[in-house]
Amino acid sequence: MKKTSIQGLSIVFLFVSMLFLCNQINWMQLFSIKATTAKTEEKLGELFWGIYQKAEKQNDKKFANQVLDSLVNQLCKNNKIKRATIKLHIITKNEVNAFALPNGHLVVYTGLIANCKNQEELSGVIAHEIAHIESNHVMSKLTKEIGLTMLISMTTGNTGAESIKNAIKLLSSSAFDRKLEKEADIKAVDYLCNAKINPEAFANFLYRLAEEENSTSKYLSWISTHPESKNRAEYIIAYSKNKKIKYKSILTKSTWLALKNNLAN
Amino acid sequence: MISNIPFDYPPGEHETEKASYSYLMSLIAAIAGLPLPIINLLATAFFYLANKKSTYFVRWHCTQALLSQISLLFVNSYGFWWTISIIFTKEEISNHYIAYLITAFMFNIIEFIVTIYTAIQTRKGIHVQWWFYGSLTNLICKP
Repeated sequence: MKKTSIQGLSIVFLFVSMLFLCNQINWMQLFSIKATTAKTEEKLGELFWGIYQKAEKQNDKKFANQVLDSLVNQLCKNNKIKRATIKLHIITKNEVNAFALPNGHLVVYTGLIANCKNQEELSGVIAHEIAHIESNHVMSKLTKEIGLTMLISMTTGNTGAESIKNAIKLLSSSAFDRKLEKEADIKAVDYLCNAKINPEAFANFLYRLAEEENSTSKYLSWISTHPESKNRAEYIIAYSKNKKIKYKSILTKSTWLALKNNLAN
Repeated sequence: MISNIPFDYPPGEHETEKASYSYLMSLIAAIAGLPLPIINLLATAFFYLANKKSTYFVRWHCTQALLSQISLLFVNSYGFWWTISIIFTKEEISNHYIAYLITAFMFNIIEFIVTIYTAIQTRKGIHVQWWFYGSLTNLICKP
């Protein structure tokens, strides 16, 4: 019995030792896995954005871009996110929507800006989308729904534009799973708090849109793709309740109003 | 790791054939059942149950084959579910994951070679006893 136990333990020891030795080698670098993944995402990002921008009308008002840029800048600066990794685009469309494409492309519709009552609400939605980008949710969702092989063949040009359009539609008009949405919400609250932006406004935005949902649902893409908004608003409030932060505004009131007027004209 | 030890009695032709099959069973199932690691264990377990009342030589080798498959099941299942979680969840490919896969692959290769060798030797009537699994089989399987 003793002999058998010693022999058994020696096999376990051999396995653990081999695992330990294998762990000493940097396989990720050896197989260039990270570089390949990053390259695939970069190519997909350019491909998706290239097709998307041809189909939609990009907002050409410099002022609106500058104002949104300053919101994104503050969020990035206070959360140690490289600003260059977030590529902000404003699309002229009445739908209340914002979404992320691969390689950090963040798309915001003018309909969303028009529907936000204050800059904090808009910052909340932007923070939520940045959280998806930073947590790599976009590539995870694409890999899960479309498959890695299909994604790689997209980058090599072996698939038609139709499949790329379908993938964009998947990202712009369907939600991530509940766990990822919650993760992005909580991360967004942290981002907002670090940038000293009141996260309660983000929760209020969700409450309000959830109530409006039934009446004008065709324009509320963002809310219909992000289910259980009331529940989300509740846990955002609960999570941000005990944070003792002196909140401040990034934009002046007049800048915010000018932005709304600028987009309305 | 493996040793050829004289058995209690010289096994007959029909016994060596069946005993050899117990090892081949796990190999065939491993090829047919990939990537599900439980298939080869199930195949070996069914063969073991079918020969439970067979002669001592056959039972002994069925038990050794089954025991080796059980430990491999744990190693392979962990790797299998880790892979599944990478495909379907947020989990990403890491250095630990690749190191584990390589270690598991090495153990599978060693087991594969030893299994083929044992199947051939057993067919010739030579009693092959594996390191640890042989001793464990001696404790479980009695004449």
